[in-house]
Amino acid sequence: MLIPALVLGPILLGFAALLIPRHAHGAAKVYGYVIALAVTIATIASASAPDATVRWLSRPFEAAFHLGWTGIGYWLAVLLAIVTLCALVAVRASRQRDFVASILVLEGAMMGVFAAKDLLLFALFWDLMLIPVFFILVGWGPAVATAWRYLLYNLVGGLTLLLATAAFGIAYGSTDVIGRTGVTPLGDVWAPWIFAGFALAFLVKTPVWPLHTWMPATYADLPPEVAAIVSAVQSKAGLYGFIVIGIPLFGSAMHAAQPLMFVLGLIALLYGGYIALVENDAKRVVAYSSLSHLGLILLAVFSGNDLALRGAFVYLIAHGLFSAALFLVLGYVERREETRLLDRLGGLGTRNPRLAGALVLPALAALGLPGLAGFAGEILILTGLYRAGYVWPAVIALIPVVLAAAYMLRVYQGMMHGPSVADLPERPDLNWVEGIALAPLVIAFVLLGIQPLPVANGLTFVAAQTATAQGPAPPPSPTPQVTWVTIPGSMGGWVLKQVVYPTQAPQK
Amino acid sequence: MSETSLPVALINYIGLSAVLFFIGVAGVIVRRNPLIMLMSIELMWNAANLLFLAFARVWVNNAGHIFAFLVITVAAAEAAIGLAIVVVAFRRAKYVDVDEAALMKG
Amino acid sequence: MGVEGAYPLLIALWLLPMASAIALWAFGPQLRTAAGPIGAGIVGVCFALALFSWPDAVQRAHGALGAHLTLFSWGSGFDFGLLWDPLSLTWTLIITGVGFLIITYAIGYMEGDGAYARFFAYMTFFIFAMLTLVLSDNFVGLLVGWGGVGLASFFLIGFYIDRKTAVAAARKAFVINVVGDVGLMFAILVIVTQVGSTTYAETFARLGQFSNTALVLACVGIFIGCAAKSAQVPLHSWLPDAMEGPTPVSALIHAATMVTAGVYLIARCWPMWNASPDARDLAGSIGGLTALMGAILGCAQWDIKRILAYSTMSQIGYMVMGVGVGAYDAGVLHFLTHAFFKAQLFLGAGLVIHALANEQDVRKMGGLRTKMPFAFWAMLVGVLAICGIPPFSGFFSKDAVIYGALEHGHPYLYAIGVLTAAITAYYMFRLILVTFFGTYRGEVDPSDLGIRHPELAGMPPHAAPQAHHSHQPGPIMNVPVAILMIPTTAFGWLAIGPDSPWERFFGQLFAGGTHVEKVPASIGEGLSTLIVLALVLVGIGLAYLRYGTSAAREHAVERLRTESVHMPPVLANAFYFDAAIDALFVRPAQALGRFMGRVVDPIVIDGAVREAAIVAVSLGNRFRMLQGGLVRGYALTIVVGVICVIAYYAVMGAGR
Repeated sequence: MLIPALVLGPILLGFAALLIPRHAHGAAKVYGYVIALAVTIATIASASAPDATVRWLSRPFEAAFHLGWTGIGYWLAVLLAIVTLCALVAVRASRQRDFVASILVLEGAMMGVFAAKDLLLFALFWDLMLIPVFFILVGWGPAVATAWRYLLYNLVGGLTLLLATAAFGIAYGSTDVIGRTGVTPLGDVWAPWIFAGFALAFLVKTPVWPLHTWMPATYADLPPEVAAIVSAVQSKAGLYGFIVIGIPLFGSAMHAAQPLMFVLGLIALLYGGYIALVENDAKRVVAYSSLSHLGLILLAVFSGNDLALRGAFVYLIAHGLFSAALFLVLGYVERREETRLLDRLGGLGTRNPRLAGALVLPALAALGLPGLAGFAGEILILTGLYRAGYVWPAVIALIPVVLAAAYMLRVYQGMMHGPSVADLPERPDLNWVEGIALAPLVIAFVLLGIQPLPVANGLTFVAAQTATAQGPAPPPSPTPQVTWVTIPGSMGGWVLKQVVYPTQAPQK
Repeated sequence: MSETSLPVALINYIGLSAVLFFIGVAGVIVRRNPLIMLMSIELMWNAANLLFLAFARVWVNNAGHIFAFLVITVAAAEAAIGLAIVVVAFRRAKYVDVDEAALMKG
Repeated sequence: MGVEGAYPLLIALWLLPMASAIALWAFGPQLRTAAGPIGAGIVGVCFALALFSWPDAVQRAHGALGAHLTLFSWGSGFDFGLLWDPLSLTWTLIITGVGFLIITYAIGYMEGDGAYARFFAYMTFFIFAMLTLVLSDNFVGLLVGWGGVGLASFFLIGFYIDRKTAVAAARKAFVINVVGDVGLMFAILVIVTQVGSTTYAETFARLGQFSNTALVLACVGIFIGCAAKSAQVPLHSWLPDAMEGPTPVSALIHAATMVTAGVYLIARCWPMWNASPDARDLAGSIGGLTALMGAILGCAQWDIKRILAYSTMSQIGYMVMGVGVGAYDAGVLHFLTHAFFKAQLFLGAGLVIHALANEQDVRKMGGLRTKMPFAFWAMLVGVLAICGIPPFSGFFSKDAVIYGALEHGHPYLYAIGVLTAAITAYYMFRLILVTFFGTYRGEVDPSDLGIRHPELAGMPPHAAPQAHHSHQPGPIMNVPVAILMIPTTAFGWLAIGPDSPWERFFGQLFAGGTHVEKVPASIGEGLSTLIVLALVLVGIGLAYLRYGTSAAREHAVERLRTESVHMPPVLANAFYFDAAIDALFVRPAQALGRFMGRVVDPIVIDGAVREAAIVAVSLGNRFRMLQGGLVRGYALTIVVGVICVIAYYAVMGAGR
């Protein structure tokens, strides 16, 4: 019952928030972060919670309300809970109550995406998570056009997702397939089309070049706390879909799509990087940098390589953490200076050193400073790609590392360094509440940078948890002997390479 | 069923009925005065009736006759309601023009 | 590769500076002036810990040298640990020892600065990152330290954040460093693919598994990292700009330690270097080229710190040349002596700058020998060492490097090394003569001296008011400089002869490995030494003739102005490297970004999206015309539909 509570609880409690009187800003805020804190604790504790299943359809195909954690879904849910908690601690908006309610509903809907183990349920939550963001954009954003563009663009993806789900259900007989072992893949008549339907939805959501144009305006117009949640978590839903739906169910289709996806991923990497160099709006810089980083994950997911995939898990979480932190800090700056345009800002670091410190750490994680989480993910992905024989993509993917350094420093120095723009009034430095909102994110990406192994083992981590529920964590293995094992006929005919440790059996 | 021959060949009945029907259709489409449109509709009803009766006679099947009665009844009711609508809707206008009742324009 | 064990002193040595950095950053405002002594004290403690751990570094057991600590693992061959052997010991002693002296010096130098505590936080963070770099037992850990020192350098170069030049210099340094990081990452990719592990032990043990191209690629990647970090051509242009940072920063980071990280890496990878002649050619050539270029450009500088910066670049060129051709002991020896005399030179320059209220242009100095005798003697000792005059330390190490090039079969590099030594002597004595001899020119109008941009001089904006007055530095700045004079003078004596203490200590590293083949040299070592000394004296003589004669000293102002005005633009613009990088990389990238951001994204791609929307809307408008609101229209539609149905049945036949 825990997992359905995690999904439905925030949704219902979000609606319940509307009962708070309109003017009680403080009460709404406290309500918000008490619930977010409860959700966070519950999510972290739910690693080995059992699935919840309720059958509800038997014709034309079997479907169920099946909620449970796949390995990487658990980590993404933890990420979501932490980011939402930080956003709610930092939030300061007009009509606080409605804002908090929308964020809670959003949290619940996204929990549903990561917890859904039935394709139809997945599609349901996929479309559901668009709605709160739409309302936030309408109510608290500068222009309604952005909201419509966000909604309609993503709904097109949602439409193909729904069609593909229905087709899958009819072809296979059941949609209750996520995270289930032993699903025989569909034949070559149905599979490419159904996969195309899923892929379109995931590509729009991530977003991947060239289906990305809804993103810069959306990230720029969203209030910073919600931008943090959307860029940190919602963008992961598409890649999560590729990992838990694409790889197990559509192995050969993914393999066939690999050249196209590699090209798109590489273009996204470079495109995002170059545009971020010249953008004037700081939030748009971060948006384009997101495009760039997620392009790398796309490469990793389609590479068919175990190590790259594990690096992708790490990078998913890492990107979520530092992206959220960046948006929150940019929000702090914008709140003080009323602008986020780089040519109007400058020299804040002299008066507000703590604010500068708060901006520098996420910026460093974003540019892949070795030692922080971004680098850990990057190096694992690039090693996996290179090892699998994709030499040129790995080399080309090194270019955006330099670009990232250039544009992130441009943002950081543009805001914090340099002579202070004259006659800007004194602004308060980072206060306790803002610092506490950032702290979990920063600590997490520092720790993840030092030891990404639990997240990297995403798919097997939860299985190990349930297996050794009461026992201590297994000791780290000594220097392993590396053997490359081809898993015969796995994953729909798509071969993965894997490291075999001498004391462990090959993992699935 | 047995066939009875009509004084005039069946084809003439069908032809007359068709002609009357399409005159009615033309009247509904072309004319703008609602009273004329209702008359045209009556014409279409009658055309259908004629057809029913002709075939009822030819095939010696009373169902056709009974249906003709039904048609007359419905036509009368519809004419009554239609005239009532015309009276109420166009009470104030000097001219009665169906084209002006275009509130359902998309 | 090292004796396994838990070495708590080593862990303490490594982590103490980080703890100190965090504490100083977090509690800076509360600590205020206590931050300096705390920072220096911590580094001093680390030096002591390193000394205590010396035996661990040279212990031998079952074929393993030194100490090894396993930390943790990421799986898939990414294992992390610490390695403590003679090479890392050497670097650690310099980092903590010279670091301790410099940070102590900085207590006095940075006095009165508004961000005093933050400075020491950054310095101790730098020490931590540098220790991570040299203590790691694997390439990824090295890369973490590599990035960390780049970050510390960024913070410290840009310490005066309200100066635009400092901010730009910091960014430039960091971005060029990231280019080096990328090279190193590429090398890691190659290595992990070939060997399945990132540790030095595994990599060097399995060198046989590398294909030839893979080995060359890995070495090239490593060398790109070295070139960026150690300011070798063509990734060198950040180093002169890095002098925007406070002088202790220049001394510690951009002279003694960080810039030598590349030398450390090549020395650490000596098995790979031994196995790849292409790598040796590349490294040696770039090192030699950099040495020469740095020396030539040093002759054209007027800022005392920039002169020292180019000399650093040049000397590191020597080091890279040394380790690059396979003369590892010579290269590392030069690192050691250079750390001492370069730190000495920078700290001495700092004494001058501090006393003259942040004046850095040598044209406005002069005659300081009488005003600041201690600074004069300190810098003279450093200059004699750098020129390679016996019996100072630089003589032994430079000679070893230059002769090593010849011994390992690179006669052209030998010639470059000799020529560079002569030029080095010239411009270093130029520095001494212009700064310390003649009459003081502080009151002369800048334009009379040929200074074109006096406002770009080195005054940091938020310096405390008392820095405006010239005052003699206190003992806390003089004592470290005095202490440094000892190794600057005497360290070289430890390396005399083939069985010297230095050879015995450092040679342990190579026991069991093959050395690079030495070719019979065409000149004996003694003759070579004499040739070098002779050319050095020629260089000194030329400098004396130009700047030191009584006539030169009398007409100093006119001569300096003439020289400034007639400085060839090639030299003044540092061979146009900055302009080239700007034109080749920066501008095109920005143009590409603008093209994509303003043309492709909004007009082409988003245009397609908007087109789709427009098509949908116009389609809707078309369909809308069906809803005319005309009753008759609807009636017509119905009739048409009925006809269609009838036609269908007529064609298909009824009953279907």
